[in-house]
Amino acid sequence: MRRIALAVVAALTLSACGGGGGGGAGQELSKDPVTLRFTWWGADERHKRTQQVIDAFQKKHPTITVKGEFKDWNGYWESLATTVAANDAPDVIQMDELYLSSYAERGALLDLGTATQHLKTADFDRTALDTGVVKGKQYALPVGLATYAIVANTDLLDQLKIKLPDDGTWSWDDFKRVGDEVSKAGGGKITGVQSFGFDAGSLNVWARQHGASVFDDAGKVAVPEDVLAGYWTYLRDLAQAGTAPAASVTIERAGGALDQSGTATNASALGTWWNTQLPSLATASGQKLKLLRLPGESQASSPAAYFKPSMYWSISSRSEHPAEAALFVDFLANSQEAGDIMLTDRGVPANPTVRAAITPKLGENDKAAAEYLDTVKVGTAPRVTPNGASSIEAIIKRHTEEVLFDRQTPQQAAKSFITELQAEIDGA
Amino acid sequence: MSALGELQRMRRGSGGTLGGKKDNKAAAAFLAPWFAGLLLVTAGPIAASFILGFTDYNLIQPPVFNGLDNWTRMLGDTRLHHALGVTLVYVVVSVPLQLAAALGLALVLDRGLRGLAFYRSAFYLPSLLGSSVAIAVLWRQIFGADGLVNQVLGIEGQGWISNPDTALGTLIVLNVWTFGAPMVIFLAGLRQIPAMYYEAAATDGAGRWTQFRRITIPLLSPIVFFNLVLQVIHAFQSFTQAFVVSGGSGGPSDSTLFYTLYLYQRGFGNFDMGYASALAWLLLVIIAGFTAVNFWAARFWVTYDD
Repeated sequence: MRRIALAVVAALTLSACGGGGGGGAGQELSKDPVTLRFTWWGADERHKRTQQVIDAFQKKHPTITVKGEFKDWNGYWESLATTVAANDAPDVIQMDELYLSSYAERGALLDLGTATQHLKTADFDRTALDTGVVKGKQYALPVGLATYAIVANTDLLDQLKIKLPDDGTWSWDDFKRVGDEVSKAGGGKITGVQSFGFDAGSLNVWARQHGASVFDDAGKVAVPEDVLAGYWTYLRDLAQAGTAPAASVTIERAGGALDQSGTATNASALGTWWNTQLPSLATASGQKLKLLRLPGESQASSPAAYFKPSMYWSISSRSEHPAEAALFVDFLANSQEAGDIMLTDRGVPANPTVRAAITPKLGENDKAAAEYLDTVKVGTAPRVTPNGASSIEAIIKRHTEEVLFDRQTPQQAAKSFITELQAEIDGA
Repeated sequence: MSALGELQRMRRGSGGTLGGKKDNKAAAAFLAPWFAGLLLVTAGPIAASFILGFTDYNLIQPPVFNGLDNWTRMLGDTRLHHALGVTLVYVVVSVPLQLAAALGLALVLDRGLRGLAFYRSAFYLPSLLGSSVAIAVLWRQIFGADGLVNQVLGIEGQGWISNPDTALGTLIVLNVWTFGAPMVIFLAGLRQIPAMYYEAAATDGAGRWTQFRRITIPLLSPIVFFNLVLQVIHAFQSFTQAFVVSGGSGGPSDSTLFYTLYLYQRGFGNFDMGYASALAWLLLVIIAGFTAVNFWAARFWVTYDD
């Protein structure tokens, strides 16, 4: 309580004198020493590599010091919200698609179009750049790309003597059937499918395969009730048939870190993931994991899979050193030096030049993730999550829980989901 | 009439030497840093949050006054009502259990165990740790699907904290487990009851139970009251346990959505700080209401020996 109250007063006193900075991204670099603050979320491996990138940048630009501030995903957003409110935002911010609009539309981010003198984007595809555009302005630069996929444990499947169907043509029914076979052969300890229903990726794919989308272009909730009900009916069937573990186990695993998941602990043969999570999963699992196409793609009228920016670089609109911040982002996004250090830790690089150059240096699983991205058929990416809807994953998760524990029917959950999500958008 | 005053009165009544101008001055000196902190660090934010409660404030743009919007919105906010229900169950179930456990152990320890200091510390320890992140993480493990509880009971494939029917129960157990603080206060209170009362009662043929009912309970009632008021307030403000155990969601299925957790979600998760500030003030009103009822009810069961 006290801490919340504290944040509030800090916010109140400081927001009154905010609004400075910005607009100077096109200026010459300062001759005096400059200190930039740079924040990101991630795991240990990323912290180590990012510090190496920072060191390389500082060597090249001795007058600029970059101070890294890193956190786990969970604490990251609360802390970012408070620092922005206190007019104390870091200069360079690792941003996610869920929150991009919420920050950009409220004026917290710098229009990178004003920073082109120091930050070049010529290497990027227009479609990739567009993922960072909000209300016609480039507020963020995509770092890496990811696409939704199935991760299959082929060691486990071989051991249980279960053959995978052709993932180029399989349907969600096929997916469930394979899962059932695994659960039967697995004898209770191993289940076929790691249930989904906790992330925006799975819902996006489901809606798009049904010719719908979660949001329309105007940023309103557009997914029809019956499509949503179908999504939750499918998940309920998985749990009831034993294709996926019991509800409480599913929910416990979904709430844990990646290495506690069914895929990582070799307790589930099939799971939905972003393709770029393959290397981390493979490390945790120790078994042979393979990326498969999403079920239902060949039955859908157009590909539901899409390229999601794994994350973005953005600059605080109140940064006192926007020119130097732009220069640093340029180094992160365009330099081969940074690319060689980061490899695919932040997703397969969105910059095609960097991506081509790092390809020969990749390990087996990183390479598989990159190849998957190159060969999968994708449609146009869904609209950026609208302002106010950044809590969509929490809302999906809660409704999945309601359905899995039979507290709501899929129809009720669908109705309640739409009302609640739309209210969040309207209230923003 | 502060609860601390009750304690002092108790001690004076049994021959203590507390009080006097000199002591008051010393007390004021010791309290001064705390008061400075209160004024500088706490009072300001509290005042600010009161004002923010009448604004639409998204943390990034300056707050905009919206009159009573936040307050009327509470009426139709079903998740808020749900959170209130969860919190009430938590308070009403866990506080009496916790106080009963505290009193029970205090009675046992009061009978002059060997190594009393050790036991007192051992039982007190959980109340120091109970609201910490570390213990909440531990709780997650203990009540997880592969946790200690399931291993002991031989249950497989079911988790306690990830089941909406049992998740709140694990948090209640956690709160009961932190009975150390009220226990130490009970113990101090028991020590103040003159032994001659018991001796006299025993001479008159009163058994253990009668002694407990006729002597211990009435003489200890101010302490029970003090603990009750404190623990009710404390339980209403619980946050860390639910936050860590549910991963910040109040789940599964909102079954552990404490009031403070919902407030936090609105403020920091949904950029809804105006509404969150109003919620904080509603909580203050609710806690004040409960405390007032406690004080009112006290005259029917709390006895003072002077």
